Amino acid sequence: MLAKDYRSFKRALDDRGIIFSFSGYLSEGILYSLGDALRQKMAIEDTDVTTIKKVFSVFIEQAQNIIRYSAEKVQGGTGGGRAVELSSGMVSIGQEGGRTFIVCGNTVLAEDVAKLRARLEKLRDMDRDAIKAYYKEQLREPPEEDSRGATIGLIEIARRASEPIAFDFEPLDNGKSFFCLKVLI
Amino acid sequence: MSPVMENLTIPATERSPAVEFDFAAGRLSLKGESYPEDASAVYGPIFQALEAFLATATERTVRFDFEMIYFNSSSAKALMNMFLRLDRAAAAGVTVVVNWVSAADDETMREFGEDFSEDLDHLTFNLVESAGAD
Repeated sequence: MLAKDYRSFKRALDDRGIIFSFSGYLSEGILYSLGDALRQKMAIEDTDVTTIKKVFSVFIEQAQNIIRYSAEKVQGGTGGGRAVELSSGMVSIGQEGGRTFIVCGNTVLAEDVAKLRARLEKLRDMDRDAIKAYYKEQLREPPEEDSRGATIGLIEIARRASEPIAFDFEPLDNGKSFFCLKVLI
Repeated sequence: MSPVMENLTIPATERSPAVEFDFAAGRLSLKGESYPEDASAVYGPIFQALEAFLATATERTVRFDFEMIYFNSSSAKALMNMFLRLDRAAAAGVTVVVNWVSAADDETMREFGEDFSEDLDHLTFNLVESAGAD
């Protein structure tokens, strides 16, 4: 039963072409280790430098977005007197039709959905040149007070995508929403 | 007058670049990766050193070498902020040369260099190819 259960869990990931997947409480240390493994895997497979950079960049921006904005966090001391904050979410990297995709998911507060959706719709509907121009414009803006850099992070993600970004929100019972973003390189 | 400034040397970490700021020689270099948890904690001290240096650097030639492998979007903002500051210094009479070094096969880093340079009017921004991938 145990093996059957987890094999089907593993197969559900495999069937989606997923190579790496992380679900749970994400820290900057985990982000570093996963990113490092991801780069090594692509280097072993002789992936070209530009593709490696794109995949890595989208992975880092998505993972850092989870760490900063997930509505599901735990905080506290670890005993060593150091305060830690861990953010829950998932990030998966896979292959689909010979291309790499990166998907992230995390819960967001209901009141943040409209703003996030508007930002993503704007990016989804822009062409490559418009995204590049928007990126350059945001590069010169002073840091945003409330969003801790989310705008430029999302633009960076959209810029590395080979087709328009896909995203969705699913309302949860607790008044929050599950947010999902898929990017094809 | 101004006291002798101590050079700023910050070793690279897994997610932040090596920094060498030689005030006497008028050279700053940033090398490596940059995707720290908090970009302002990494770039704040560099920017402060840069401000202090430029305050005494009128009519000098200064050289800045950037050889980045990867940086995230909040680091990109911090870098742009430095370039804008350098461009203002150049407008005020400091001769500023920026060398943006990237591997020949690294389109992403080269394009970042182009993006940065397009909005800078007074400093000299060179896109330099390094020997290639490691």
